[in-house]
Amino acid sequence: MNRLENELKKALERVEPPAGFAERVLARAARVGDEKPVRSRRWLELFGFGVTGMGGLRWAAACALCVVLAASGVIYERDMQRRRGEEAKDQVMLALRITGSKLQIAEQSLKELDSGGQPQQ
Amino acid sequence: MTTAAAAPATHKLDFEDLVREHERMVFSIGYHFLHNAAAAEEVAQDVFLELFKRLGTLESPEHVTHWLRRVACHRSIDYARRNKGTAAEVSWDQLPEPAQPAGHSDLGDSDPMMSKRLQQMVAALPQKMRMVVILRYQEEAGLEEIASTMGIPLNTVKSTLHRAHAMLRAKMEQKVGKEWGETRGEVNA
Repeated sequence: MNRLENELKKALERVEPPAGFAERVLARAARVGDEKPVRSRRWLELFGFGVTGMGGLRWAAACALCVVLAASGVIYERDMQRRRGEEAKDQVMLALRITGSKLQIAEQSLKELDSGGQPQQ
Repeated sequence: MTTAAAAPATHKLDFEDLVREHERMVFSIGYHFLHNAAAAEEVAQDVFLELFKRLGTLESPEHVTHWLRRVACHRSIDYARRNKGTAAEVSWDQLPEPAQPAGHSDLGDSDPMMSKRLQQMVAALPQKMRMVVILRYQEEAGLEEIASTMGIPLNTVKSTLHRAHAMLRAKMEQKVGKEWGETRGEVNA
C-alpha cells in the first residue's frame, strides 16, 4: 500500500453520526409502523402488491385485471342490447298477431254482408 | 428494545440492534460522499427506514450488511443528483489552497490538515469515482465487492480507482509538493 492509499484510509475513516441518531431513526420507524394500514395492505398483498412498489409481474397482473374488467363490460353491454332487441321483436310479433286476428274478423264480416246475411258481432 | 413490531414479517433480526451496529457505516458513506452532515443523516435515516420495511426479507447479518452498504451508496448518489446545485458539493477546481506552503515535506501520520484536504479532494471527485474510493478506503472493500455493491463491471472499478489515484496524486503534487508522488503503487484486489 502506498502513501496515498494510507492517507486515504485515514481521511476516510468512519465517523460517528450526530448524537441521538439511532433514537431518531427508531422514532421514525415507529411512526411508519403506526401509519401502516395493515388490513387494506393484506388484501392488496394477496394480489401481489407490496408496500414498497410494484414489480413487472405485478404491473402485468394489474394490466390483465383491467383487460378482463373491460372485456366483461363490453360483453355485458352486448348482452343487454341483444335482450332489448328480442323484447322489441316479441312486441312487434304480438302486435302483428293482434292485427292479423282483427283483419280476419273484418274479412269474415264483409263476406257475410256480400252473401246477404246479418254480420256477426 | 424495539423489535420492529410493525415490520412486514416475523424475523430474528432486531431492528434496534441493527441500527446501532451499522449507524457509523451508513452515516459515514453518506457523509464522505455528500460532505454534509445534515444530508448524510437524511440519507442514513432513509436507508434504515427502508431496512425496517424490508427486514423480513433479509436472511442473515451478512446479507443485512451488504444490503445496507448497497442501499447507502445508491441513496447517496440519488441524493446528490436530486440536490444538484443545492448540495454542498466541492468543485475540483475550487479546492482551497493548503495551509502549508508547497514543498513542505513534513507530513506525519497525524496531520489533520492532510486528512481534511484529502476529504475535500475526494468530495470533489466525480460521483461514481467518489463512491468507489469511499468503498475502497472507508469500507476496505475488495474490488469485486465494490463492483457487486455498485452494480458495475469489475474492470470499470479497476479503471475508475486507477483514475481516482492519478487525479488525487496530481492534485496533491500540485498543492503539497513533488515528493508526494514518489511512492506509487498498483491497485490490488
